[in-house]
Amino acid sequence: MRYETVMGLEVHVELATESKLFCGCSAKFGADENENVCPACAGMPGMPAVTNKKAVELGIAAAIVTNSEITRTITFDKKSYFYPDLPTGYQITQWFAPICKNGWVEVETTAGKKKINLKQIHIEEDAGKLIHEGYDTSLVDFNRTSVPLVEIVSMPDFRTAEEVVAYLEKLRSLLTFAGVSDCKMQEGSMRCDVNISVREAGSDKLGTRTEIKNMNSLKAISAAIAYESKRHIDALEIGDEVLIQETRGWNDSIGKTFSMREKETAADYRYFPNPELMPIYISDEWIDKIRVNLPEPAVEKYVRLTGELGLPEFDSGIITGSKTLSDIFDDVTKHFNKPKEAANWIITELLGIAKGSNKGEDDIQIDCVKFAKLMELVDNKTINRTIGKKLLGMVLEEGIDPAVYVAKNNLGMIADTGVINEAIRIILADNQKSVDEYKKGNQKVFDFFVGAIMRKLGGKADPKVVNELLIRQLK
Amino acid sequence: MDCYIVDFHAAELGVGAEVALEDSVMRKGLPAKAGSKILEGFIAPFDATVVTRLLDSKYNIAGRIGMNEFGLPSLISAGTNDIYDAVKAVSAGVVSYALCNDVFGVYRRRAAEEGICYLHPTYGTVSRYGLVPMACSMDQIGVACKNPDDCFGLLSVIAGNDPKDGTMYPEKSYVYSKTGKELRIGVPAAVLNQADEGTKESIRRFAAGFTSTDMELKYFDVYKQVLYILTCAEASSNLTRYDGIKFGYRASNYKNLNELYTRTRTEALGVEAKLAAIMGFMVLSQENYIPYYEKAMKIRRLIKESLRFGEYDIIVLPTKISDDSYENLSLFALAPLAGLPSLSFSFKGCGIQLVADAKNENALLTAWEGVKNEI
Amino acid sequence: MQNVKRYEMLNKLELAEDEYVRVSACADKLTESFKLLEGIDTSGAEPLITVLDIQNVLREDVCVKTIPREELLAPAPDSTGGFFRVPKTLE
Repeated sequence: MRYETVMGLEVHVELATESKLFCGCSAKFGADENENVCPACAGMPGMPAVTNKKAVELGIAAAIVTNSEITRTITFDKKSYFYPDLPTGYQITQWFAPICKNGWVEVETTAGKKKINLKQIHIEEDAGKLIHEGYDTSLVDFNRTSVPLVEIVSMPDFRTAEEVVAYLEKLRSLLTFAGVSDCKMQEGSMRCDVNISVREAGSDKLGTRTEIKNMNSLKAISAAIAYESKRHIDALEIGDEVLIQETRGWNDSIGKTFSMREKETAADYRYFPNPELMPIYISDEWIDKIRVNLPEPAVEKYVRLTGELGLPEFDSGIITGSKTLSDIFDDVTKHFNKPKEAANWIITELLGIAKGSNKGEDDIQIDCVKFAKLMELVDNKTINRTIGKKLLGMVLEEGIDPAVYVAKNNLGMIADTGVINEAIRIILADNQKSVDEYKKGNQKVFDFFVGAIMRKLGGKADPKVVNELLIRQLK
Repeated sequence: MDCYIVDFHAAELGVGAEVALEDSVMRKGLPAKAGSKILEGFIAPFDATVVTRLLDSKYNIAGRIGMNEFGLPSLISAGTNDIYDAVKAVSAGVVSYALCNDVFGVYRRRAAEEGICYLHPTYGTVSRYGLVPMACSMDQIGVACKNPDDCFGLLSVIAGNDPKDGTMYPEKSYVYSKTGKELRIGVPAAVLNQADEGTKESIRRFAAGFTSTDMELKYFDVYKQVLYILTCAEASSNLTRYDGIKFGYRASNYKNLNELYTRTRTEALGVEAKLAAIMGFMVLSQENYIPYYEKAMKIRRLIKESLRFGEYDIIVLPTKISDDSYENLSLFALAPLAGLPSLSFSFKGCGIQLVADAKNENALLTAWEGVKNEI
Repeated sequence: MQNVKRYEMLNKLELAEDEYVRVSACADKLTESFKLLEGIDTSGAEPLITVLDIQNVLREDVCVKTIPREELLAPAPDSTGGFFRVPKTLE
């Protein structure tokens, strides 16, 4: 029997606002527990909700980049259930009139291009965070409570984990480049639930559906899909297990999904319109204003980089694969107008340093003016590239000013050929045996000489000049 | 006679008129319990906007005053347990004013009966910031005092747009004054006929002072149902935040999370709040949403659109038609359901209630001015 | 009224016997009275969620710090190390 896996995705993406959706608390990640909490988002009575305009605008931006039909008059509703991460006992969401419907996103996999259809996107507030402490208590942190997010609900259009991953990467690219979200899975600002069922290939009837939650990386998502679809197929073939419609968690360390106890009241959320929040009318003018101000999307930027700027496809792909790298590239080339050189520095040196300290590309934070100045110093031969690389690490980690640092530590390149020739003369004199070997045809000792001479010069000579002068003296 | 005041905030007593706050209007540093045990231990973390405005205008906040739990009506005890200490305190001269939230008419009725007055302003003209919510689409802070002229004076201090409340008209402030225009009084005979003879006579004599016109209050027979369905739904949702976790009462004996929730809420919510919570969940449940909740919202629109302000400026109503508190809700439903201002006072020994069009408090004031020398 | 127990349970309430009798009697009376709504023709009427006819009440995206954490946690019946504490949520 051949089987087909059918999947639909619910992706939650936190919006890149400064403040929360319905109160003025900071929406930033990483504060101390309950630091970004006020009486309103702690569920205390008496503070009416007032909607954050930026959140609505980012919702509109999400609608635009996913080719969705924007709802002209949107409203907010209450979804009620008791849980300690929900301080008011209701979540404000969009049940009756979501921000948009019927969008689509094109993904590309090894099997070719495919359109993934979206049912809708709605704006809602995030819930708080529970930390399980000790044997019998849990701790509640409301920092995340009421942080604005959009939930992007796809149609059941996915058949493979590869499509799912390609879709999530595409969404991340669209949303980060549009400034909608930073989409960091490890920080929880992008989260994904997968609805999955398995049926006989060719059948148009859907099988029993389960929902997988709690995956915080693309790798985990792929693994969870593989595990869960095999579990479904085994149940169908061997019949050792009866599938039930349920929510399952993903345990990354053992690589298995597990049944999650449903929240008791999940059966009836008692949705109703929130009478405290007036409808929001979204005019053509408002949409156009947001559309024209959207930053350049990754695909367009790729075309500009490979075309106008003449960068290799490989380099352009890496730079436009990350909003952070892309922003760094834009920023440094404003001050250092050699795009190819800049791309090189970013891809080989900057990423290299980040990887060395176990940082993801989206975690890189660097002063682009200093970065540009550093590239300039190498480019105009004030310092050599080796010293440049060292200094880049210091710009990244300590924020040093490269020009000041070079002057203060006398790292400028030795331009005086007399000094270099003298160093070469001393090294050759000290290593007569090696000189003899070289003259017998052993090329390897050449590199040894270069290394020794560079050390003697404190690493500050231009290796090309050392090479030329060395060859002359060895003749 | 401080028996009505739950706790005087002595430091604030000084010169100037004193204002008592119903237990649901927040004064920073004071408890705000909305008459409920479930808010025991909760201290208001900020001043309600109305309080800020009163203090800015040199009024004194006298303290908190008792109320029905969350302002809900006494349906189970059939009205006998109503707590309207705000009216008693003003009537006894303990304070000059009390600020209250009167969705169900407890204050409008009792003020008129006790010989004082109550002004429920147009929805969206007084900030709800700092008011413990019951039904957000109808909650509105109003004024109890001895004399309607003073009611309007105090209202002009507290009314006006507040960016912290998203359910407000844009006007920054309001000036209330008598208009020169001749008022037309709408008299809903069918409603009036349900009142006792004394009330009927009072209302007739009130209307005689103006041009009056017979009118029909369409849907009056379901006013109370629509009011209760919508308010219990909203109230049930506003009550879910009381769970013993963040503030307020927590049961002392529980073995797990569900027991913490259940015992806390069972021990600390009163019987009317329990009724409202249960009825609210019922009308919002999947199977009942359309026949009850949505239907009530639709009738609410029909009620609002059935009014013909223009043909009349004021609708006059009794403040009591039955000994049954549920029946009486119908008399007070129009103002909250349609967001209209309403003034009640005693006229010729009986309670009467005037309702005007939205933001036309001036018609109420003018009507009062027209009869104030013959009450 | 049917299902009083269900809405009681969903509400995290557990009424004592005498309270249950009073509440359900009143709930019966109320639901009985709600039957009158059936006779009202609401075809073509849009639900009225709020009486205000205003739109787009929005706030600029600006952070406002209102109260320090100690004040926020002060009224909590049980808190520790900056957190609110509850009985374990997962079994």
